Amino acid sequence: MAGLVECSGTAIRFKARGGGWTEALAATDLRLAPGSFTALIGPSGCGKSTLLNAIAGFVPLAGGGVAVDGAQVTGPSPEVGVVFQQYALFPWFTARGNVEFALRRLGLPRAERQARAEASLAEVGLHGRGGAWPGQLSGGMKQRVALARTLAAQPKVLLMDEPFGALDAQTRATMHELLLGVWERRRTTVLFVTHDVDEALTLADRIHVMASGPGRIIETIELGDRAARQGLDYLANRNRIIGLLRHARPHGDET
Amino acid sequence: MRGQGIRFGQVAASLGGVLLIWWAVTAWGGVNPVLVPGPAVVWAAAVELWADGTMGSDLRVSLGRAAVGFGIGSVLGVLVGLLTARTRILGAAVTPVLTLLRPIPAIALVPLAIVWFGIGEGSKWFVISYTVFLAVWLNTHHGAAHVAGTYIRASRSLGAGRLREFFEVVVPAAAPHIVAGLRMGAALAFLSLVAAELTGASAGIGFRIQEARQFMQTEVMFVNLILLGVLGALLDALFVALANRLVHWEQL
Ligand SMILES: Nc1ncnc2c1ncn2[C@@H]1O[C@H](COP(=O)(O)OP(=O)(O)O)[C@@H](O)[C@H]1O
Ligand SMILES: [Mg+2]
Repeated sequence: MAGLVECSGTAIRFKARGGGWTEALAATDLRLAPGSFTALIGPSGCGKSTLLNAIAGFVPLAGGGVAVDGAQVTGPSPEVGVVFQQYALFPWFTARGNVEFALRRLGLPRAERQARAEASLAEVGLHGRGGAWPGQLSGGMKQRVALARTLAAQPKVLLMDEPFGALDAQTRATMHELLLGVWERRRTTVLFVTHDVDEALTLADRIHVMASGPGRIIETIELGDRAARQGLDYLANRNRIIGLLRHARPHGDET
Repeated sequence: MRGQGIRFGQVAASLGGVLLIWWAVTAWGGVNPVLVPGPAVVWAAAVELWADGTMGSDLRVSLGRAAVGFGIGSVLGVLVGLLTARTRILGAAVTPVLTLLRPIPAIALVPLAIVWFGIGEGSKWFVISYTVFLAVWLNTHHGAAHVAGTYIRASRSLGAGRLREFFEVVVPAAAPHIVAGLRMGAALAFLSLVAAELTGASAGIGFRIQEARQFMQTEVMFVNLILLGVLGALLDALFVALANRLVHWEQL
């Protein structure tokens, strides 16, 4: 089980309104080491989702390539799991049904599929809640189901696009703990998009700071060994990222 | 349930009010009772139509026609809607075709229906199923063509093939629209029933209204018009109750 992601010269553009092209992502090199936890931070509209979607195989590239364990990404695949900000749970399936959706391709007997789905839900703290409908769950619970569903497919790479952006601070802190627990157990390669500096500093080993016009990575910050992290380093890194983000913003946009 | 109690009260009060005005206007004597019969006369006519079996057979015939027309129209509408929504070439043709077909009222199809299917049941089924089909097609197409992109992305990145994506994601995602189309179709089946029974019928609610005109039996017309209204409303209520169970994640 590896999970090496290599973006080389990956570029993406979209048709702009009124003809022409918007360069959403300039040719970008990015390497996610197997088992690493990387955060992508930047102002809104700088191309974070676009870069993540390129690795997920959701959008065609204008240039360069993306490879997972040496194989070119040509479209979505269960090797690369995605957790969306809007959960993307299927409301017509129960929580367990959603997880089973990810397991169906394995062709397991029904009983085993259900048992695996329940186990997956238990891993994210939803033991015995498999019968609930997504509509009955809180935002935090929904995101737990979405995480269980994605993990059930046994991805080598886990892409998360502002997954906790809609949650309150308390729930978010709980989800951080949960996610780090899952990551430490599974050592899946994680790419985590956020625009929250503290969230990036809490979760990641390495933070890429992006800027817009065109979307690109402007700086990479290594956070070093988790156990040895000091309060002073935290503050220094925090100030550095905030400074970078201030400059990354297009002029006249102070929101 | 309190909410339902209030709603029931409202319905009863509003219907009671209409009945009272109707009674007052006809009892006052200012209107010709041949043109506007009073509630008592209409009630008596209803009892008589029921007693001699006319109402029973009209109901059976009309509901049968509506059911067959609805069945054909809705099955075709769902199938064609899914097809046009998920194939690019056919999808491009939908809007122009619909724009052209939608303004044609059911009643305008009657002569064609007679030429094509004669005056038997076929022409009635055609008129009803055509109107149902249009509504169901339109709604199904809209629902299946606008499935949220994240559902499709989630499905594909979870390893589902195109077939599973269609049946387990596209169809359920479109289901609220499909059900809304079926509800509209059920109402239209009733609306086009009267037009359909213009194609030469010997029984049915629409036919009875036509027949009553020849004998100036306005009270029979009133009975059957009220019957159409009550049946349509009951059918819709039943439909909503069923639909809310079926598409439980989205209330109609
Ligand atoms: N499907 C699309 N069509 C056209 N433009 C898009 C599309 N998706 C994103 N963009 C544009 O690409 C840029 C980057 O967007 P995005 O990656 O979503 O930013 P972020 O996730 O950092 O907020 C933005 O200018 C956005 O308007
Ligand atoms: Mg984004």
